[in-house]
Amino acid sequence: MARKTLLIYGAGAIGRGYVPWVFAPDKYRYYYVEAQKSIRDILNEQKYFTSLKTKTSTYQVLEVPVEFCYAPGEEKSIISDVDAIITAVGPRNILSIAENLQNTNVPIICFENDDSIPGFINSLTGGTNAVFGIPDVITSNTAPAKIGKKDPLAIITEDGFCYIDSAARKIGGDCSYVNKKLLAKQWQAKLYLHNTSHCIAAYLGSFISAKYIHQAMENRSVKMIVKGAMYEMQEMLKRKMRLNAEFVDWYARKELKRFCNKLLYDPISRVAREPFRKLAHGERLIGAAELCLTGNIIPKNVLTGIMAAFCYNNPDDPDAHIRYLISALKPQDFLKIIMNLQPNGALFELLLSCWNGTLKRLGNLK
Amino acid sequence: MIDRDKLLETAIKAAVEAGNIISAHTHDIIPRAAKESLRDVVTELDVYVEKEIVKILKEFDSGFAILTEETGEISGAQKGCRWVVDPLDGTVNFINGIPFYGTSIAFIENNTLIVGVFYNSVLKELFYGCRGVGVYKNHKKVQVKDRPPEKSLFSIAFSGKSYDRSMRKNEFLCFGKINDNSMGCLRTGSAAANLAYLTEGRFGGCCGKANKIWDVAAGLLLAELAGAKVSFQHIGTNLVNYVAATPSNWDFLNKVAGKLFV
Repeated sequence: MARKTLLIYGAGAIGRGYVPWVFAPDKYRYYYVEAQKSIRDILNEQKYFTSLKTKTSTYQVLEVPVEFCYAPGEEKSIISDVDAIITAVGPRNILSIAENLQNTNVPIICFENDDSIPGFINSLTGGTNAVFGIPDVITSNTAPAKIGKKDPLAIITEDGFCYIDSAARKIGGDCSYVNKKLLAKQWQAKLYLHNTSHCIAAYLGSFISAKYIHQAMENRSVKMIVKGAMYEMQEMLKRKMRLNAEFVDWYARKELKRFCNKLLYDPISRVAREPFRKLAHGERLIGAAELCLTGNIIPKNVLTGIMAAFCYNNPDDPDAHIRYLISALKPQDFLKIIMNLQPNGALFELLLSCWNGTLKRLGNLK
Repeated sequence: MIDRDKLLETAIKAAVEAGNIISAHTHDIIPRAAKESLRDVVTELDVYVEKEIVKILKEFDSGFAILTEETGEISGAQKGCRWVVDPLDGTVNFINGIPFYGTSIAFIENNTLIVGVFYNSVLKELFYGCRGVGVYKNHKKVQVKDRPPEKSLFSIAFSGKSYDRSMRKNEFLCFGKINDNSMGCLRTGSAAANLAYLTEGRFGGCCGKANKIWDVAAGLLLAELAGAKVSFQHIGTNLVNYVAATPSNWDFLNKVAGKLFV
């Protein structure tokens, strides 16, 4: 049987690390579109890359042949000939590729950390072919030195789960095609159990100068806050979203276990990247805390995570300017002007009242 | 070597503190005096806010000179470095309850603009930038939106200081020409806000004649860092003519505004 052809936007953690485990290279041919020239050059020269999957205490290795890696815009010549398109470029970059997607009717699977992206693409292209997919997995750009030496693009992924809207079922692959209701349930669990706790672990980890998530989780205090935040989110999902308690508790246990995976080398700088995006209204931090409050839960640990995000200090991050703002502004001005929180609102008041105490708590992590 | 991050932090802190004071006194302000024209007024608040800004800037480093709208030059020991401060640009708007005004603070090192901040406390819009860093509005990075003149809105700022009354008609001719060949030309009453709005694509270009340096120093830097082409010339003590526009609007605005500067 002829192999199907995939065009993958983004040769990053998900695009390179996880996609080949869902769509096996012996059944699919890979074309990439990647903005970073250094990655393009290596892929086009090597014609392959290595993806490693963590299995109990070892790695499973997959060599993935690559037909070609295009610069953005160059892929127009083949876009109408592929069997499916996958996007994994990050929500902030999706606008730049939306125009190119007008020239195709094939399924577009959006592996983006935002469930509004398929609707956004469909409204821009006038199509209905963009669907949501959830790669429930952690991938890391950091491969062990021995493997990285052989292949600079080697990448590590967990043995995860993948859920895709059943409208794209004909693409096949090793994943679960589910209806929109089940997909929404998985997304809520991922957004508030995985995403919230994962980035809180990262922001706390940066406070203790840890490099990887598993190192952060080795700190007893960090682990307690992450577990506490996870518990707050579990309660919120049960009370507010009415998710099945057994499912929620299983999901939370699974997440805590994966954060501690020492084989994954999950970089804190990647997980903590773009704090302002994670602090946006309705997103995994502010949105999570607000949902807790409307469910009569005081999310003390999530608030600690939010404060740690406010204090994220990485000069190489696209949102590095958060450093100037947190240092220059009074807490109430930061919350009002920068976070756009309503003065006298519950979250505003709560953050303000615990500001100094939380900073002290974070300082004591070290 | 001056720590630019700290300069930016200090300018942000001072601008927002100023904005807080302005917001707290929105309804109890009486103009104190007209300065050089009926449109060039000062209130008690301008003076009070300026004092608070100077206090914050001096606390950071007392060695830098400060040029302010109301006090003038406050000398500093460190050569080649100075803050340029307008505590409330758009005072006439402020007095009349039109929410288009704000605090403008810039830092100049060896004749080069380094840091610029503009804060409108009514709209909670904080524009800030530093050479080598870029321009941001609140939490977002901003850049100009490059559209052709017919799809752009422009703004113009004539100074209250008419400079040469016999040439005044040229200003209105220029205004009309820009207005008729674009989506429109506004005279908003705040040159600092005009330039800040250019940084995020609300305006396609701004120009001004005989504007005070404290009105536009921060804005000119912000516009440049956000991708606008910027040109300005000093035409007298603390007075500048300038054109700032997106690349596609540059030729159009320069050509028309050239007549303004004759």
